[in-house]
Amino acid sequence: MGDFLQLVKNENMKIYRRPRTWVMTGILIGLVLAISIMWLTFGGRDASMWDVAFIEASVLFLLVTIFTVVIAAGGVAEEFTSGTIKLLLIRPWSRSKILLSKYVAIMMFAILLAVLLFASTIFVNWVAFGINADPEVVPNTIPNGDSPVSYLMQYYALTLVSLVVTVTLAFMLSTVFRSGGLAIGMSLFLLLGVNSFILLIAMLDYKWIDYLLFIHLNLTQYLDGNPMREGMTLGFSLGVLGVYYILFIALTWYIFNKRDVAS
Amino acid sequence: MEKPIVRLQNVTKRIGRRTIIDKLTLDLPLGEVFGFLGPNGAGKTTTIRMMVGLMSLTEGEIFINGHSITKDYEKAIRHVGAIVENPEMYKYLSGYDNLIHYARMIPGITEHRVHEVVKLVGLEGRIRDKVKTYSLGMRQRLGVAQAILHKPQLLILDEPTNGLDPAGIRELRDYLRKLSKDEGIAVFVSSHLLSEMELMCDRVAIIQNGRLIDVRTIGGSETAAVAARVFIEVDRPQGAIEALLATGRSSIFEGEQAIAVEADRDETAAINAVLVAAGIKVYGIRAHVKSLEDQFLEVTGGERIG
Repeated sequence: MGDFLQLVKNENMKIYRRPRTWVMTGILIGLVLAISIMWLTFGGRDASMWDVAFIEASVLFLLVTIFTVVIAAGGVAEEFTSGTIKLLLIRPWSRSKILLSKYVAIMMFAILLAVLLFASTIFVNWVAFGINADPEVVPNTIPNGDSPVSYLMQYYALTLVSLVVTVTLAFMLSTVFRSGGLAIGMSLFLLLGVNSFILLIAMLDYKWIDYLLFIHLNLTQYLDGNPMREGMTLGFSLGVLGVYYILFIALTWYIFNKRDVAS
Repeated sequence: MEKPIVRLQNVTKRIGRRTIIDKLTLDLPLGEVFGFLGPNGAGKTTTIRMMVGLMSLTEGEIFINGHSITKDYEKAIRHVGAIVENPEMYKYLSGYDNLIHYARMIPGITEHRVHEVVKLVGLEGRIRDKVKTYSLGMRQRLGVAQAILHKPQLLILDEPTNGLDPAGIRELRDYLRKLSKDEGIAVFVSSHLLSEMELMCDRVAIIQNGRLIDVRTIGGSETAAVAARVFIEVDRPQGAIEALLATGRSSIFEGEQAIAVEADRDETAAINAVLVAAGIKVYGIRAHVKSLEDQFLEVTGGERIG
């Protein structure tokens, strides 16, 4: 019955018609420009465009995560706080499909931001450092032997995986708490707060720590080949993340389907 | 009665130990404006929420157009348009975008239909403005617009006159009557405004503390035949009473410049004739028909929430 793409279109409309979405996108691209220009001004032109692009990516990807978490945390919760959830649900669509359309739209936004970051860092730094570059300058943040493009691609792919898990967590909190502020706060606390002392926790010698979500959220640890805890492999991390992901999705959908809508 | 569009069968809702709705059974036919009347907290909104699938039922079943709301939700809700409580819209979108949003969710709604509905609720002038700039009355109109967008067979409106000015209320009332008569749809309206219901509805169900207390037909001949208290303004109350006592009437109340009797329509005319024949000047006759409000307070016993 009906066309699911129409639902996604609706959710996209609700994301992109809001000024905050464009402010966040603007900040992201503005920062790429600002960092490159400052580097050019104070550091001169003798840096490799790949180095600058890589450093910007590693710093600004956190911003991509935060912005997407803000949108994801708002996704379901704001429909509840504004009361629009009632008019949204009384349509010939199951709750699961309505929730799925929201999830798809949010994931599209996450990927859009990541692609924007990738494209803008490459383009801006190609203009700033790449054109007529001194052939002597070689990238030194990127391990020897790897082509810079494939290294960056791998970096983005691994961060995207953690982005998806983090955003799914925020989406779940949004559905459970039905309060945008609480969901944003919780997600960012988990993301920033826990991540900052996760290195300490990683040093503890308990087996169960291997299964903590936050040990695995930074997958780029495997790119340089020194994982946070000894003996962990990329496969193991992906497995743990996969289990968490399924758990988050199952809980989100179960709760959303079950819940009485009363305000 | 025709095949009902809505059947509520033994609908019960319990939250924890509290029974919010207790074995509610009700049938609504097409082509009728049906009022759902009750004091605040009686369970009107809860019932409506269950009817549109926002809340689960503890016991019982609700069928809309023959489809169970719990087992076959998508089919049951297909022909329902509703406003639940306040018509909350996306404030950061324009009124038009809000309607497009809902139009996309049901196949077969053309842009033409959207414009038609906008015109119908009289929002042409402001439909491109953001909803956050709308007054409550305009939001209410937009709410009605989204509810009738897909030409539903059942229209559920929770306190629809909330925030409308008298002209708007009148307009809405006329429109709902027209919808039910011309298009043959069923309109289910909840309210605690009794006088409003009296003007708008064909039948009224009264609920209190989650129980269905009574279902009444409004207007019909029965109200006219009911004995009412009749106030008669006369020049000599004493003389009037004597004249009436002579005809065998009892229970006449005397007032200053007036008398009061219990009488139906025909009796009122007869009394008037007696008074005139006795040479008493009759300045005015006013029958105080029991309004729905009186009936309502009588039935619910004017009980408090609790």
